[in-house]
Amino acid sequence: MDTHPSYPALSEVLPKYPKVAGALFQTYNDLKLAQQWTDLEVLDLPSCSRGALRGKRPQMDTTLYVIPCSLSESLSTSWLQDAFKELGEPPHIYLAINAEDSSIVYYKISPGIVKPPV
Amino acid sequence: MSLITPNRRGGANKGGARRNENNRIYGLPLPLEFSTPATARFHPARHILGLFGIPDTRILNPHCEGTFDPLTCSVWVTNSKDSTILWRRGFFGKGDLSRSEPSWHTRQMTARKAAGKFLTSEEIREKRRAERKQFKLDRAAALAQAAAEAEAAFAEGREAAPVAIPSGATWKPQAHPTAEDSRSPTPALTEEVEQEPEEPLEDLEHLQLTLQEAFFLIWNFNCLTVIDPATNEPMSLQQIWSTFRSVYCDKLPPPLSEPAMKRFDNPFLVNYVAYHYFRSLGWVVKGGIKFCVDLLLYKRGPVFHHAEFAVLVMPVYEDPADQESSPFTLANAEPFSWSWLSTVNRVNSQVQKTLILAYVTIPASSRVSCDQTMSPACLAHYSIREVVLRRFLPARMRD
Repeated sequence: MDTHPSYPALSEVLPKYPKVAGALFQTYNDLKLAQQWTDLEVLDLPSCSRGALRGKRPQMDTTLYVIPCSLSESLSTSWLQDAFKELGEPPHIYLAINAEDSSIVYYKISPGIVKPPV
Repeated sequence: MSLITPNRRGGANKGGARRNENNRIYGLPLPLEFSTPATARFHPARHILGLFGIPDTRILNPHCEGTFDPLTCSVWVTNSKDSTILWRRGFFGKGDLSRSEPSWHTRQMTARKAAGKFLTSEEIREKRRAERKQFKLDRAAALAQAAAEAEAAFAEGREAAPVAIPSGATWKPQAHPTAEDSRSPTPALTEEVEQEPEEPLEDLEHLQLTLQEAFFLIWNFNCLTVIDPATNEPMSLQQIWSTFRSVYCDKLPPPLSEPAMKRFDNPFLVNYVAYHYFRSLGWVVKGGIKFCVDLLLYKRGPVFHHAEFAVLVMPVYEDPADQESSPFTLANAEPFSWSWLSTVNRVNSQVQKTLILAYVTIPASSRVSCDQTMSPACLAHYSIREVVLRRFLPARMRD
């Protein structure tokens, strides 16, 4: 993994949280290379003990936040609330759930109730 | 042609040609290939040996190579020839930047050249999503129009004029100039084509095998070598067996990780039992995270037909004391709630999959010695039973 071109951008945060390092690496690669997000940055989220990602989708201008986690973890709503607080209360965040076969499922999470768009 | 409405006409020639092509490319169900040397004449000696059980066929082993990655708990196959072999012969692994087959490089080159003739499955998915979005907008607009019309009619005291609301089965995408493919030639891209060829794009994708898939290939067919990333040396079967189990033990706090190595409820072992069971019965087994399950069973492969079955691996402890002393919190080992089961069943019924609960019994450490975990032979002590789940509606299902 250290020889992968994406490693330098993650080298600060990956060793800090080894249990979720795989999830962060997979999510970063997916967003950067497959989904082609721009302005992708790695953030440190000590309240959730993991790194998070911030960037923009291609051809869109809004900054979005993605928190990677692994399928084997169990989360709680207080954990999510801490995440919202630490990221500065964005309107919504994406939770990237990583599986060991490298599949990632993204869930959009908002702090309150949301009406369907259509 | 819309991608979201079912294709009723089904272009027969096109479908047939693709099916034959798929049958040819994905003809081998496993990485090993059996070859019979072509003999023009009937050779009596070889034939007699064949009757005695000494066949003339040779087994061709592709000997693929992968590297173990402890952080993602998987084996990476970076060699594109090996990853193609493993994908085409049994659908092992998944491209880490793609939906299934590693196609990232192809997609990037297509995007560069802006003259794609073959759409990868990711591009088809994007088209389908764009169409569905457009359909939803059209439907919402029609509903709003119908509501406005009904209001106006009520206010004027007349009958509302009927408004056609598009349905999923009959909606056709209109050719919108704004919603065209991103690959249609724009001025910037045509300039690029005339410029010097760009520097070759490095393939940053690898085929990712789960530990279960990798061990299945190594133990049963010996067609995969796993390199240790720290030493760059191939790992022996014994090293692989202990490393794959230790991946889950190392995540525990240090005092617990040593004794946890000898436990039968290691997540690697439990998941491997289920994987091996279904694979040995001939199913192609893939991950099921997209449908809230553990495994998906394909009859021939994802390329041929959608998965028919969705499997949830439910570990059961032969001895409840083992469960209480367990440092691993195995998923689905506790009694579940009806709402959870109902949810998973609903999700899968909507995609026409049948839910299977696979109960894996974990042997009691009081009955089977923990030293057995030192070798893969301990897998014989596990057992697995399946329960098929279908929703029953007494009013409707009278036959």
